[in-house]
Amino acid sequence: MFAVEMNNVNVYLGDRQILKEVTLKVHYNTVFVIMGPSGSGKTTLLRVINRLIDTTEGARVVGSIRVLGFDVMNYDPYELRKHIGMVFQVPNPFPHLTIYENVAIAAKINGVVKNKKELNDVVRWALEKAMLWDEVKDRLHEYPHQLSGGQRQRLCLARALAMKPKLLLLDEPTANIDPVNARKLENAIVSLKDEVTVVMVTHSPYQAARVADYVAVLYDGMVVEQGSAQQLFLRPSTDIAQKLLRGEM
Amino acid sequence: MYSWRKIREKLFICIIILLSLLAIAPIIHLVIVVSINGIAIFVKAGTSFFTGLPPTPLSEEIGGIAPSIIGTLLMTMISLSITITLAVFAAILTTEFPKNSISVAIDAIAKSLASIPTIAVSMIVYTLVVVPMKGFSALAGSVALTIIALPYAYTYFSMVLRSVPAIYREAAFSVAMSRWSAVIRVLIPIARKGIAVGVLMTMARIMGETAALLFTAGRFRNKVSFSPTEPADAIPLLIFDYILSPYDIWHQVAWGATALLLLAYIAIFFAVKLIVKEVKL
Amino acid sequence: MIMTRKDKLFFISLLPLSSSLLAILILSIATIALKSLDSLQIFGFNLLTSSIWNPEKGIYGLLAPLIGSVITSILAVFTALVLSLPLSIIIVEYLRGIVKNIVSSIVELMGGMPTIIYAVWASQYLVPFLKEFLMEPLHNTFKYIPLFSCRPITGFSIFATGLSIGISIIPYVTTIILEAYQSIPLAYREACYGIGATRYESIKIMLSLARPAIIAALILGFARSLGETTIAAVTVGNSMYLSSCLFAPGYTVSALIASQFANAYLYPYAESVLYASILFVVLISVALSFYGSSIIIRWRSKIVV
Repeated sequence: MFAVEMNNVNVYLGDRQILKEVTLKVHYNTVFVIMGPSGSGKTTLLRVINRLIDTTEGARVVGSIRVLGFDVMNYDPYELRKHIGMVFQVPNPFPHLTIYENVAIAAKINGVVKNKKELNDVVRWALEKAMLWDEVKDRLHEYPHQLSGGQRQRLCLARALAMKPKLLLLDEPTANIDPVNARKLENAIVSLKDEVTVVMVTHSPYQAARVADYVAVLYDGMVVEQGSAQQLFLRPSTDIAQKLLRGEM
Repeated sequence: MYSWRKIREKLFICIIILLSLLAIAPIIHLVIVVSINGIAIFVKAGTSFFTGLPPTPLSEEIGGIAPSIIGTLLMTMISLSITITLAVFAAILTTEFPKNSISVAIDAIAKSLASIPTIAVSMIVYTLVVVPMKGFSALAGSVALTIIALPYAYTYFSMVLRSVPAIYREAAFSVAMSRWSAVIRVLIPIARKGIAVGVLMTMARIMGETAALLFTAGRFRNKVSFSPTEPADAIPLLIFDYILSPYDIWHQVAWGATALLLLAYIAIFFAVKLIVKEVKL
Repeated sequence: MIMTRKDKLFFISLLPLSSSLLAILILSIATIALKSLDSLQIFGFNLLTSSIWNPEKGIYGLLAPLIGSVITSILAVFTALVLSLPLSIIIVEYLRGIVKNIVSSIVELMGGMPTIIYAVWASQYLVPFLKEFLMEPLHNTFKYIPLFSCRPITGFSIFATGLSIGISIIPYVTTIILEAYQSIPLAYREACYGIGATRYESIKIMLSLARPAIIAALILGFARSLGETTIAAVTVGNSMYLSSCLFAPGYTVSALIASQFANAYLYPYAESVLYASILFVVLISVALSFYGSSIIIRWRSKIVV
């Protein structure tokens, strides 16, 4: 069984077709990276998985998508999202909640904990996994706007983790972060493999090389190549993949 | 040697400065004059101005405007609660479903309602509420006030809610919140300052409204009444009646009431300014 | 947008309270229309063209208040134009920092002020002032012009009402003009300085760019003035006598209703006549509001680069 399985998925936004005949398979407990130039549809692909695509005007999804065993398009998205965590390109911690509350709310809503003590434990666990605990352990009652961009993004990761999801979606999570924090985030991601399956979008082949087990190359809405990271980086078979890896695209 | 261009420029600035001062002069004069006249009345009448009953036309004592104050408070509270509830619900609907044709319709409806003159609202509520109830009442007054305040409150709240960035709704969904959860736990708390300002501004609007109450509240000012089904009075109504009357004592009472209303309005204005200053995105 | 069952339930849960707005609008329009029907059917066009008002005999003519409403609104808009435009220009082009804050706050304060307060100030201070320093001099100098031919006795008149309402809508008109002016892209303003224009010349160019929005502001101000009640009721003089002189007392539709509606049940068809009069005002007011707003929306879409 696969964590995510897409077969001939087409996505339209109004008249434009964003994804064309996308077929891919994501194994459990791996880091699956989707690579490609800007505008290739990477974010859309991610948003189809947890049905955030629903909120986009004029969106139409055709094809078979199975996530964690569920047929995504025929399943209640609000139920589905309980098992999927997401980190967005631009960090979006809730500005009206404290650092603690930001992480806690994800756990409380999904019934992950039963009492205050368990909640504290989960919050601490999530912040540790996101490699943010040491920096905020004395500031849990401060607000996100007092954190740096990189810290906010790690807070968003902690929030997603507090849900105890089986699947984690990351949309160019280090795009707006400085290199030092980016590295910290990457290390955190790799260390999560045992507990979650990670699907990550990036436009940097170097980042992909650092974290990926499997890679799919997306170009103009189509998957042009996919396979194990080793295979792709050592012996890219398509022209596009080669250009991407050389940084020419 | 001054060129014609430079002279024209200087002349222009002088004229527009003059006209701008002329534009602002009335309000400054108004505030000063109302304050002076009002304070004179407060001093002359003492605290009984707020607790006593209005004087008869030929009396020497100023008395008080307690029935009007209570009436204003009562009708403002009733109207405000209904208005805010309806307006917030409508604003949530149009924010969460922006492209839906019902949302577009609600915007157009609010705009239409806003262009109905307030005196017309008074007539309508008279026909629909006062006549069937066979009498004026604070309730009828509150209904009229609600109709007037609704489009105003809705427009403001929908602007406030729409200005909350969409990324927070997406974040809410990403932690598996339901639609209502996302609204109550994320959208509204983030917008809370704007909502507070909206409530205050709506309250100021309701409190100062005169025409809507002309044929609905009843102008009953002989005694303090807390009952919504009995006729009531309001501060603006009292001012309207008394300033039009020929009696000097009533004119004095009107000045006192006007000053009180102005004071309340300015207080709300400053409260709003205070809240807005604290906004930090 | 993809709507699931839960989304639909959410939508439906919001619907009842939100549709209250629609219900109110329908009820309001229906009431006005139905109540005016009687008088319109019986008196027909005579209602609009006659100025004879005799409720006891059942004779009604709304010409005086209708004309009064229109003239006062025109005067109001003119006053607002003359005073709001310079104020807007000063705020946008010349003021900075704390002074700008204070002036903007004053405009805001004016904008939300209950009109009854304006009414009291106008009737006790503005009108006597206008009578002494504007109306009497104009009358004495220009007696031969019909507009100024009557001697102002109390000062309560169409003229006084027009100016009083005009002052009260200054903040409304200023705000619309300010918003429009500020939505002109910086690129245009910089272009003006780029071709060596002086402040004054560049402002002229900005104003011509903003002209549709300014016209819209005046249209919206006119609609607003039509419905103004309290100020009109205390300054217009409450007279059904139709004259061409601005300084004579007159009536506006809202002032008429304010003074006559309470006793309307005593006279045949009086209520219906008053409903008919407000029907005209509502129709014009709503039409102008939508027209004015559509001008601004269209202008905005054209102006943004």
